[in-house]
Amino acid sequence: MDKNEKIHLLMVDDEVKFLHTITERLKLKFFEITSATNGEEAIAAAKKGQFDVAVIDLQMPGIDGVQVLEILKKNHKYLEVLILSGHATIETAVTCTKLGAFKVLEKPCDFDKLVEAIKEAYETRLKKKFQHDEDRMKKIQSLVLGQSPLGILKELAKMDEAEK
Amino acid sequence: MNDALNYVNTEGLKFFGKVNASISHELKNILAIISETAGFLNDLTELAKQGKELKLSLLENCSTSIVEEIQRGFTTIKQMNRFSHSVDVPVTDIDLVETLDLMAGLSGFLSSAANVSIENKCTESKTIRTCPFLLQNFIYQILCFVYESTGPTGEIRIHLLEEKEKGVLLTLFSSAQMSVEKFPDEKMKKTAGILGIEFKTNHSFYEINLLIPYAVETITQLDPNG
Repeated sequence: MDKNEKIHLLMVDDEVKFLHTITERLKLKFFEITSATNGEEAIAAAKKGQFDVAVIDLQMPGIDGVQVLEILKKNHKYLEVLILSGHATIETAVTCTKLGAFKVLEKPCDFDKLVEAIKEAYETRLKKKFQHDEDRMKKIQSLVLGQSPLGILKELAKMDEAEK
Repeated sequence: MNDALNYVNTEGLKFFGKVNASISHELKNILAIISETAGFLNDLTELAKQGKELKLSLLENCSTSIVEEIQRGFTTIKQMNRFSHSVDVPVTDIDLVETLDLMAGLSGFLSSAANVSIENKCTESKTIRTCPFLLQNFIYQILCFVYESTGPTGEIRIHLLEEKEKGVLLTLFSSAQMSVEKFPDEKMKKTAGILGIEFKTNHSFYEINLLIPYAVETITQLDPNG
């Protein structure tokens, strides 16, 4: 399978052995994976790469999972985030969901369930992105009608700015 | 029930809960690694059945990892057991180095924990007559305070030295600057007061000095058999 056809995953966990093993397993399922052992690394990796889904451990030293989730959702509009937690409470799940997490999974998590959740998150990302692209196309088409070429350019520049 | 005993009970329960939560988190992490490694072995077996080449080094890495995690689990359970038994008797003779070692291990499960090393300069093993559970609580509080500054990448050196007949002088050296204006807080002061622990005034941004007495009269308040 071509690298570009794979789902691009960002895996974040401070438990290095867990991160390494789960990364190896997910690679066998044809995911393209970048791993990070802390929040800072994850944020930096997300800036560089185009990820479809991020799987983040909740309890980490430094910037914890909730903070990473908040930053990633703010900076990467269509990135879906799954949270892994050793002790997921209802409060944690509510906080993470409010911040835009796709799902909160308890750790250790059944591997097949994790793979399933990643695929669901990816599908959601695609749907949102397609919907957005479709809306944008409709907007562009409506601009063409009854606008001067300069007016169209100005409107397109505005739309482009809003996307940044 | 006297004030000290009341304090030990209420604060002690919180401490007990906090430590137990961190132990269960550690055990979950260990089980997660074992579970994923076993899963990875299954994945490799399936691939081998399909005729893919099976790298022996991968199998070796998996079995080593499982053995290491089981050992880590045993160590954690041993620490949990030692901690649980610290409430067996309210006042008893303890080995200070053992207690420090246990608290360094248990607080090490916190995500903010730094690397802790203990350097015993006492000429012989000194036993302290104290409330073991409350002393553990106190050491844990101090370590957590230092972790706030060091973070997980920092270092803490604990140095023990005899101070004549009085007790053991405990010095904590931190690799990072601490916010000494917050030290000691009310909880630390109260716990230290019951245990007869003296905060030496020469603490600095990088150093905390405590005098732990060999025995203290007030501690008998915690022992109903006195």
